[in-house]
Amino acid sequence: MNISGLEGCRVIVCCGSGGVGKTTISAALGLALARNGSKVAVVTIDPARRLASALGLSALGDEPRQVDIGPTGSWGELWALQLDAKATFDRLVQRHAPSADAAERILDNRIYAHLSGAVAGSQEYMAVERLNELTHDLRFDQIVLDTPPAQNALDFLDAPTRITHFIEGKSLRMLLSPGAAAGHLGWKVLHAGSSTVFSILERVTGAQLLRDLGEFLAAFDGMYSGFSERAEAVRTLLHSPRAAFVVVSSADDEPVREAGALVERLTHDRFPIGAAVMNRIRPLPATEPPTREGLMAVLADAGARDPADLADRTLAQLEHDRARALRDHESCARLARLLGGRQPLQVPDFPDEPVEISGLGHVADALSG
Amino acid sequence: MTPPELFDRRLIFVLGKGGVGKSVVAAALGTAWARAGQRVVIAEVANQHRLSDLFATRDVARNAPTELAPGLFGFSIDVDKSTEEYLASHIKVRPLVDLLVRSRAFHNFAAAAPGLPELVTLGKIWELAVALKDGRPVWDKVVVDCPATGHGIALLQTAGNVSELAAQGPVREQAHRIEEVVKHAGATGIAIVARPEELPVSEAIEAAATLRADHFPVAATIMNGMTPRRFWPEDAAVLARVDLDDPQAAAAAHAALQAHHHSTIEHDHLRELATGTHTAPLIMPDLGPVPIGPAELGILADALQAARHAGEPAVRR
Repeated sequence: MNISGLEGCRVIVCCGSGGVGKTTISAALGLALARNGSKVAVVTIDPARRLASALGLSALGDEPRQVDIGPTGSWGELWALQLDAKATFDRLVQRHAPSADAAERILDNRIYAHLSGAVAGSQEYMAVERLNELTHDLRFDQIVLDTPPAQNALDFLDAPTRITHFIEGKSLRMLLSPGAAAGHLGWKVLHAGSSTVFSILERVTGAQLLRDLGEFLAAFDGMYSGFSERAEAVRTLLHSPRAAFVVVSSADDEPVREAGALVERLTHDRFPIGAAVMNRIRPLPATEPPTREGLMAVLADAGARDPADLADRTLAQLEHDRARALRDHESCARLARLLGGRQPLQVPDFPDEPVEISGLGHVADALSG
Repeated sequence: MTPPELFDRRLIFVLGKGGVGKSVVAAALGTAWARAGQRVVIAEVANQHRLSDLFATRDVARNAPTELAPGLFGFSIDVDKSTEEYLASHIKVRPLVDLLVRSRAFHNFAAAAPGLPELVTLGKIWELAVALKDGRPVWDKVVVDCPATGHGIALLQTAGNVSELAAQGPVREQAHRIEEVVKHAGATGIAIVARPEELPVSEAIEAAATLRADHFPVAATIMNGMTPRRFWPEDAAVLARVDLDDPQAAAAAHAALQAHHHSTIEHDHLRELATGTHTAPLIMPDLGPVPIGPAELGILADALQAARHAGEPAVRR
């Protein structure tokens, strides 16, 4: 398994559980592809400014910014941006609302303000929208998408479906929109089933909240099919050979298990898996440990005050390192089994965290094999 | 702000970046308290299924306490079920509730209403925190294993947002009552968890600032996975002088120096967490490459109890 399989892909989606270094791997993958001559945009979707620090930038905007990746020669370009769900949502409204007036009505709606600013849910919706925008941006050959930090790494895959369900809430709009659906005759013409539901709901939420929600949904009239079409377009793209999913894991027990679940889900839903990355792998020691006596003698020569004590601690450290390396090795084998025998790409554990572009270069080298 | 403050609260939210070990911290805190004779419930949010793995017990039931260890219970919050329970408590007429939860219109409403799943989740947590039996609290401690930072903060803020959004009605009143408890500095404490790495620490610092600005009671920070220090600067000086002619000894010295370097970086991150959040972080040691089970939770619970009384855990050599 190597990244050469990713070269022709328009979209590369990095997924995996939290804390495995997904953002770093996304950025390094972008760098590796850029070094191969591609023009790459890396999108991160994270409230913390992680990609920004990984790329050595102080702040990333919602707009792609070119990253200085050193003397380029035949290299391509690396661009980075951070998803701003609210900015994307606002832009969407301005672009697709039937009139400037309608756009303003939505942007001023209190429900909209909370919905667009909310982290939960809105990020996943907008990741899909932003991805759709970028696939139409001809500056980039390839887009690498870092997925939102969800409880469940699979949430992102469900976003298009959820958008579609959300916007297809026709019965809800019937229920809530006072004018649009019922031809300005108000609530009374709604059929009995819905109005009963409404009156029950009203007892819990209060009428005003429902009215706001109704106005909000009514303001979106005329934009629904667009939402649906774009979500469908992204879904089609993600299922096509022009997309590749990269499953990222660390060697810890929980992430490997989650990577396994992810592989299963992607396979089941026929999303193309381009590669799997096992991050922060420690190598097995090249030599046998020294004998205690031998080590004591060497440490005494080096001026140790208590050579026996330092030798024991050093040997304990070697044993610890060996156990960890064995576990990492076993985790790679586990992930390979979950992938039906395909070996994951291994990225070594660098002593210093790759938070600068030079550090990312080492990770990119490891990914390129 | 000193660590013991966290131990005096009744409702504890465990928050942090994905992968820092929030579930393990929640489980270790719960274990420490249960061992001290308290009745503890750990609430997990959004189908994590982590508690049953950690305690090697049967699956934690949805919306019902499941005993994990003596005096220690798990509670898995199910949003759909909680929504139904919430409606039932307000509407009181069962057939109407059934009509509502069966209707497609309602499901669309539930999906579209901003913050509803979070509000319902927080409402369930609130119920656990205020539950009384025979005039006494049902739970001495309610520990919440929150979703990853951004989503976790959104969960905490949701009550405030909803009471702002709904001008009147039962939802607003409910949200307001919940907000009061969640922000109550005497009863509630937020524990922010990090690992000794750059990104989890910077995320913890940002989270602490955001939460404090919003008047949430940040009670402690916890540094999870600190490698017990094995080597000190005087050792490093000796190791650096080791004769490189013997490859085995040289490799051993190199490994020890690496470990020392790693430990130094971890301590830099620990200091950064302390100064960045104005807290004295509680330390939970790295237990090596083993899956965490009941025995490991016992060790971590002891470490937390020890850290409560001192700045750093007993050094393992």
